[in-house]
This record gives sequence, C-alpha cells and structure tokens, in this order.
Amino acid sequence: MKQKTDVLQGTLALMVLKTLDVLGPQHGYGIARRIEQISGDLLAVNQGTLYPVLLRLEQEGAIASAWGASENNRRARFYRLTREGRKQLRVETQDWEQTAAIIGRFFEAKAEDLS
Amino acid sequence: MKSTRRFFHRLFHSATRRAEEERLREEIAEHLALQTEENLRAGLPPVEARRQAMLKFGSVEAMKQDYRAERGLVFIENLLGDLRNAGRSIGRMPRLAAVIILSLAIGIGVNTAIFSWIQLMLFEPMPGVSGASNFLLVEPHSETGGYPGASWLEYRDLQTQVPALRNIVAFQMVPFNVGERGKTERTFGQLVSGNYFSALGLKPAIGRFIRPDEVERSGTELVIVISYDYWQRRFGGAPGAVGQKVRVNERDLVIIGVAPEGFQGTTTPLKFELWAPATLMPVLLGGVRDLDDRSTRTFSLIGMLRQGATREEAQAELTTTMAQLARNYPEASAGIGGEILSFWESPRGPQRLMMSGLAILQGVMLLLLLAVCGNTANLMLARGSTRQREMAVRMALGAGRWRIASLVLSENMLLAVLGAGLGAAFAVWGTTALRLAPMIGAFPILFQTRVDEFTLAFAILLGIACGLIFSAAPAVHLAKLDPQEGLRSGSNTPPRSRARKVLMGAEVGLAMVVLIAAALFLQSFRTAHQTDPRFHPDGVLLAAYDLSGRNRDDASEREFAARLLERLRSLPDVEAAAIATNVPLDLHGIPARSFTVQGRVRTEPGQDRAIFNTVTPGYFKVMTIPLLEGDDFAEMRDKAAPAQAIVNEEFVRRYLDGADAIGRSIQTRAGSFAIVGVARNSVYDAFGEPAQPAVYFSYRDIPASQGEIHLRTRSGLETTLASEARAVLRDLDPMLPLYDVRTFSQHIERNLFLRRIPARMFVVLGPLLLGLAAMGIYAVVSYAVVRRTREIGVRLAFGATSGRVVLQIIRENLGVITRGAAIGWVLAFVISIHAITKGVVNLPVFIGVPALLLGVATLACWIPARRASRIDPMVALRYE
Repeated sequence: MKQKTDVLQGTLALMVLKTLDVLGPQHGYGIARRIEQISGDLLAVNQGTLYPVLLRLEQEGAIASAWGASENNRRARFYRLTREGRKQLRVETQDWEQTAAIIGRFFEAKAEDLS
Repeated sequence: MKSTRRFFHRLFHSATRRAEEERLREEIAEHLALQTEENLRAGLPPVEARRQAMLKFGSVEAMKQDYRAERGLVFIENLLGDLRNAGRSIGRMPRLAAVIILSLAIGIGVNTAIFSWIQLMLFEPMPGVSGASNFLLVEPHSETGGYPGASWLEYRDLQTQVPALRNIVAFQMVPFNVGERGKTERTFGQLVSGNYFSALGLKPAIGRFIRPDEVERSGTELVIVISYDYWQRRFGGAPGAVGQKVRVNERDLVIIGVAPEGFQGTTTPLKFELWAPATLMPVLLGGVRDLDDRSTRTFSLIGMLRQGATREEAQAELTTTMAQLARNYPEASAGIGGEILSFWESPRGPQRLMMSGLAILQGVMLLLLLAVCGNTANLMLARGSTRQREMAVRMALGAGRWRIASLVLSENMLLAVLGAGLGAAFAVWGTTALRLAPMIGAFPILFQTRVDEFTLAFAILLGIACGLIFSAAPAVHLAKLDPQEGLRSGSNTPPRSRARKVLMGAEVGLAMVVLIAAALFLQSFRTAHQTDPRFHPDGVLLAAYDLSGRNRDDASEREFAARLLERLRSLPDVEAAAIATNVPLDLHGIPARSFTVQGRVRTEPGQDRAIFNTVTPGYFKVMTIPLLEGDDFAEMRDKAAPAQAIVNEEFVRRYLDGADAIGRSIQTRAGSFAIVGVARNSVYDAFGEPAQPAVYFSYRDIPASQGEIHLRTRSGLETTLASEARAVLRDLDPMLPLYDVRTFSQHIERNLFLRRIPARMFVVLGPLLLGLAAMGIYAVVSYAVVRRTREIGVRLAFGATSGRVVLQIIRENLGVITRGAAIGWVLAFVISIHAITKGVVNLPVFIGVPALLLGVATLACWIPARRASRIDPMVALRYE
C-alpha cells in the first residue's frame, strides 16, 4: 500500500517538474490540469495528492513558490522550477528513460532470446 | 545534501505550523475555486460544479494529513505538543511541582558541586598549571606500608636514573617568617628544585624564575619567587618589586620574579606565597643538614612521562633504582621501594584527605539523589493514578501506549530538566561561596572550584537520569492501563498500587542506610573530640619560636630553652611548662625515624622505626601523660647525666617483647641514649589510631633551634597566658617573634579541618533525607486515604471511632515502612560491621536512628489519616 503511493509520488514529482519545465511558473491547479490533460486518468480522482508532492519538492529545493495573481486575478501560489530542479529533472528523465528502456526490452524479449 | 536540507526545512516548519496551515488552506480554496469555474464553464449548475470539484480534489483531510507528515517532523511536533502539555500539566500543580523541582535541584546541585571538585582534583590538580593531570607522583613506599617522602639526595639519583620520566620536580612545604625583625609575618612557601617552574611550564608574570644553576650551587643564591597575590598585596603589583629584598627567616632574599596569577603551588588545596631554591634550606632553616641526609625524607616528587614512555616502564625503572639505592644506602633506604601514582592517588597529605573525603561525599550524595528520585516517582505515581480516566480517554481516542508513556515521560523530563537547571545554579552559587569563604586554619587553604561545561553536562545528565528513573514506574503503570477498564470504573478514585508501597518502603530503607551512615560519621567525628587522646589538651596553650638564622650553637640553644622555661614557670598562672619539637595531632604528622635498640635483633630486612619527639623535662607533666616506670628527664642544665630517652608502652611491647626497658640503650643517628622511663601510650597522629611506638628525647641532649612551647594553666583559661608568654620572650630576645599562638584545642580543631567538611555536610544531609522520606510517606498515605474516602465513610457510619480509623491506616502503612526500614537497618548493620567499625556496634546509633525514623514516619502517616477520619460520613458516602 505504502509502496504504491511512493511509486506514485515519485512519478508524480517527475511529472510536476516536467510540467513546470514546459509551461513555466504555474499554480497548483494549473499543474493539476496539465498533468490531467496529458495523463488522462491518473490524477482524475485525487488532485489533492499533488500538494504534499509540491511541498516535498519545495523542501528539496527543486522548485520555489511565491504568491501571485491567477488568470482571473485571484491570489494564487505560483511554483517555478529552480536551477537545481532543472538539474534534477535532467537526471531523473535520464534515469526514467533508462529504466523504461530496460523494462521495455524485458517485455519484448522472447523465450528463445534468453536460451 | 538533499535530505539534510529537507530535514532542516521540516525542523523549521515544525515550529511555524500555524502560518503553513493558513497557506495550505488558501491554496486549496483557490484550487477548488478554479476547478469550480472550470466546471461552470463546462455547463454544470453551480452546486454540482462545486461538488464535482470537491470530488475531484479528493479527501481534503486525508490530504492535509499527508501534507503535514511531509511538512514537519511528526516526532518533533509530538514532542513539542507533549512539552506544551507537560507545561500546562505542571502549571496545574504548582505546589507539587515546586516541591519536586526544589528537592531535585538540591540533590543535583550538591552532586554537581562535589563533582566539579573531584573533576578539578582529577584533571587540574594544580591550579594555574595547564596539563597538570599529566604529572605523576613519584612516591617512595616503605615495606611497612607508609609513604615517607623522598630525600634530596634520593631525588638527585632518581632524576637521572628514571629515564622514562622527564623533569622530575622536587618540592617541600616550609614555614617562613617574612619581614623585618619584630614584625615578622608567618607564611608558607615551598623549597623547590631548579627545574620546578620550567617543568610545570609556567611563565613568570614579571621577572624570571629560579634557574637550575642557582639550585646547583648550594646555598649561595639568595633568591626567591613570590606569588601573584603576594605581589599585589605587598607591592601593589608594581614592576619594581623585582630586585627588591624581602627578609625571610632572618635572611635577605632578592625577589627575582612573580609567579603567574592563579598559581598556588603544587600541594592542593594549600596555597603558597614564596618559592625558594631547595638548596637554600640550610640557610633558611638554621643549618639543617637535610640536603646531605638520605634518611630525612621531606620532599615530594612529581614528574611527567617522556614522549612514548609508559607508566609501566617508569614503574619498572623506579623499582630497579630504589632497590639499588636500598643496597647502596641500607641504613637510610632499606625496605623502601617506589611507586608511580597519579596525582589524585596521592597517598598522603592534604590531597589524600580531600580526595577520600570527596569520594565518600559523592557516594552519599548520589544515594540522596536516588532517594529524591524515589520520592518523586512516588508523588508522580500518586498523581498519575488520579489521571487514569484522562489517559483512558486518550487511549480510547487512539493514542498509542508509547504516546501515553511519552506524555508522562515528557512531563517528568520537564520537571527533571528544570530541577537540573536550578541545581546547576545552586552548584555555581555554592562553589563560589566556598571559594570566597575565608579558610581559617594553620595553613592557607584555597579551594579551586569551578563550574564548567563538563560540570553542567554532568548536572544535565543527572537530571535526565533522574527523570528516567522516576518516570519509569508511572509511565509503565499508565501504559498498561486498559482503556475500557479505566472508563468503566466511572470514578476518579485511583486503584490500589503496589508500586507506590514498594517505593515507599525502598525509600525508607535508603533513608535508614544514609541516616545511620551520617550518624556514624558524625559520631566518629565527635569521638574525635571526645575520645581520650590519652593526654589532656584542655588548658594548654601552644606557641612556637624559631631561632633559625641566629648565631647559635647547641649550648646557646639549650641555654635559651632553659631560661625560657624558668621564666615561664615563674609566671603565677602557669602550672607547668615545657618545650617540644613536635605537637601531636598535627596535620602533617610527627616524623618516624629509624633506630636500633639494645637487646633486639631484627630478623626481617629493614629497620625498626618509631615516632621521635624531642621534649624538655616537664613535658609529661604538661601533657599529663603518666610515666609508668622510671623518671622524667634530667634537668636542662645537668651536665653529668648521660644522654637519655623515654619510650612508650607500645615501644616496649613491640621491640622489647615487654621486657624491662629501663637502662637499655637506643642507637640513633644522633648517638646513643639510655632509656630512663616508660610513658603511657598516647595519640600522636590521629584519634583512634592504633598504638604507635614512640621515643622521646631530651632537649638537653639534642637542642633544637625551634620549639613549640607548651604551657598548662592553673586557672584553665589558657588564652590569658598568650600576652604574658609574649612578654617573657620579648624580654629574653626582643627580636624574636612568638608565632602560631593557639590553644591545644584550637590546634586539634584546625587539623581536623579537612575531616570536618564531610561531617558538616552530613549534618545537613541527615535532616534533609528524613524530610524527604516523610514527604514520600505523606504523599502515599494521603493518596491512599483519598482513594478510600468512601470506605472510611462507611466505617464511620457503622460506628467506628475516628481513633480506630486512624490507627488502622497507620498500622497498614507502617507495615510497609517497617519492612523497608528493617532491610535498610540490616544493610547498614552489615556494612558497618564489616567496613567501618570492624566488629564494634554503635548501639545508640543503631537504636536511635530507627526510632527517630519510625517516629517521623508515624507522624507522616498520622496527619493524612487524621484528616480522613474527621470526614463527615454523609459527605464521604456522597463523595462519588
């Protein structure tokens, strides 16, 4: 159970970083919308889980936040990627691609390839 | 990196919880608003739009939990919460908390003060000398178990023949008469070897120190180093002091330098003012030949290990060297080996007295602290049991057992830490007071006490240990609680607790042990006053004179003593007068020297030794020591009689097997003496010492330049004699000061000074412990009584008299108390028989202390019992 949220959180963090990288400073709702748009179902149920992840990233120094005005002129908290966050994104993207590639190869492998 | 940064963030956020909470709330609101707008745009009706937004967001509370867990450190937040809780809870019981904190503070404060003392003795035994604890003592050790000190020649040998030690330093304490004739002031200084200051690594405040070559050339360099305090006092700290002359023992010495501030010599806790080259000894002390005499062991030696050398190597080298010295100089060194000891292991002198006294004190004070802990545990347990309902509610609401325990723990820890803080303050105050307290005594004593970070750490550690000790029982007790049970009982009455009673019993037992120890200690100290020293010190006045540095010889010294005695005896108030070189019960003891006696062949190696004292005729009359056989010494001016000696009973028993002593001859280095009398044994070094063999010689045969005048008054008012004695001496020699005038009782008193410190502390400690025990009993009984209010009410309603109720409550509790007391009593009894009095039982103590303790315990039971018995039965029955 715990492991599942960990995995989710890990991927969620990566998604947040990528979103901020692509879109620039965003408030929580904006990030949630973006991830929802791209990932479809994953975040449809529990948008709230995003906030602990944001906090964690901020504590780690990957993102920074400041109050700002949202598109309809309300006070909203805007998150932006820091230099360290960009670095982290690069590293984690690489890691992810590598992992994905390995897993992919495993799924493609046939019995005769292993003998 | 990332994780540490995150940790600090979280730590920080634990403290700023409120602002964070607000931010999150705003963010959520914003998020929901944006989502709702989105939904409205999608065409949903407003209510549904809001509902969908909420659904999409998920459980806000669950998310908040996650968020909080991410944000701060749950552990720390809980701890802070507990502490807040503890603070509130303590605030609700101000009187109980004050009692607990105060008693803890006293216990911890006393322990901390003593610890700071011990710590300084261990790590900084010589104030002003850095790294002093690296110095080792080089102590000659005689086969009979004594530590006689080293002779100067021995020192010179050891200096070169123990290569594992570098810079062995020799020093000796000597009295000096400082100042011009007629207004001399008596102070103490040290005669030191040439490397003394350099080996200690000292830098002079001004001027320079004694050079090795000044010590090498015997008695020609009239130089002296003065202490910083002396410099400030006499010269106002003027740099011109260097080069000036001071008159010391009738000699002009040139001040060459001033010791650094804070340095007080190398015999803690004594404080010295002057340091002179050791080789000035013959000049300053009237021609004594100690420098050339191997059997006069007056020096103390210390040294530091050479780089890479071990203590074992040093010990081996010392043993070899001492064995060789014993072969080369059998008459002075036979049977004398050597030991390398740490500074704090000092086997003799003031250091030894201090160290053993402090060690005992620390042990007893830790016991006291343990009693305080027991007491506190009891009080907290009693209080804790009234909170069972509260705890049950907490558990029912989901608090884990660990949380309950930590709640109790944090409350107690807060108390303990507050107590430790206050205790540390007490320790600082106490040690400062001790340092500033004027030390009256024959010797200038300066206690170096200081509270540093080690000491504070010790205090805090003690506090935490105490907290853990007295938390354990209540925490376990509450954590074991069954929430259903706790709630169902439906009342606030605490259930029976065996733990409390056991604690109460244990505490009483502990109090018993310490009280008996205190009483024994006190009594042994009082016996030191009251036991018969086998002479009569009352009504005797002592005063010293010193002819050192005069042009004099044996004949003139003898004549001076004879004339002085004649004049003193002619005073109307003087019943008897005598002069002696040594006074019994001196802090530094009376020297024991070697001799041979006619008619005794020593079978084992080594030499026979006895205490030597040189006295004038009439000495035994002044001291009221009866002569069992033979007669007093011949008159001072008698030229016909041969050299005489008087021995004591123990001498006859030990060395002559009880045979007739009169007429036999004794050989010492000073010559041959005929035994003319046998004196009764008396006390020489300490009260309660085993009988020591002693030989008295006559001033007539061995005149000395110094003497202690003993005057016995007719009237019993010895103090009135002082001015008369002074007048007599001034008459004989206007330039000669009479110094160290004191009554014999004062002399004894002074020399018991160091022994008296622990005795005094026991006087304070005893009542304190008794009070603590009473408090503990009172707490237990009053809680037990409250618990049984209803039962008591029923009894009273059925016609029991209040007297019977009181009696029953007392009887029940006294049972536990008696059992604890009995265990403590047996323990103290066994220890005392085996360790202290060696078979002699001090009955008044072993009966009196339990009587007192049980009396107080009964009173402590009676007060709450009586209160309970006065309750109105109707009120009691409605109580719940």
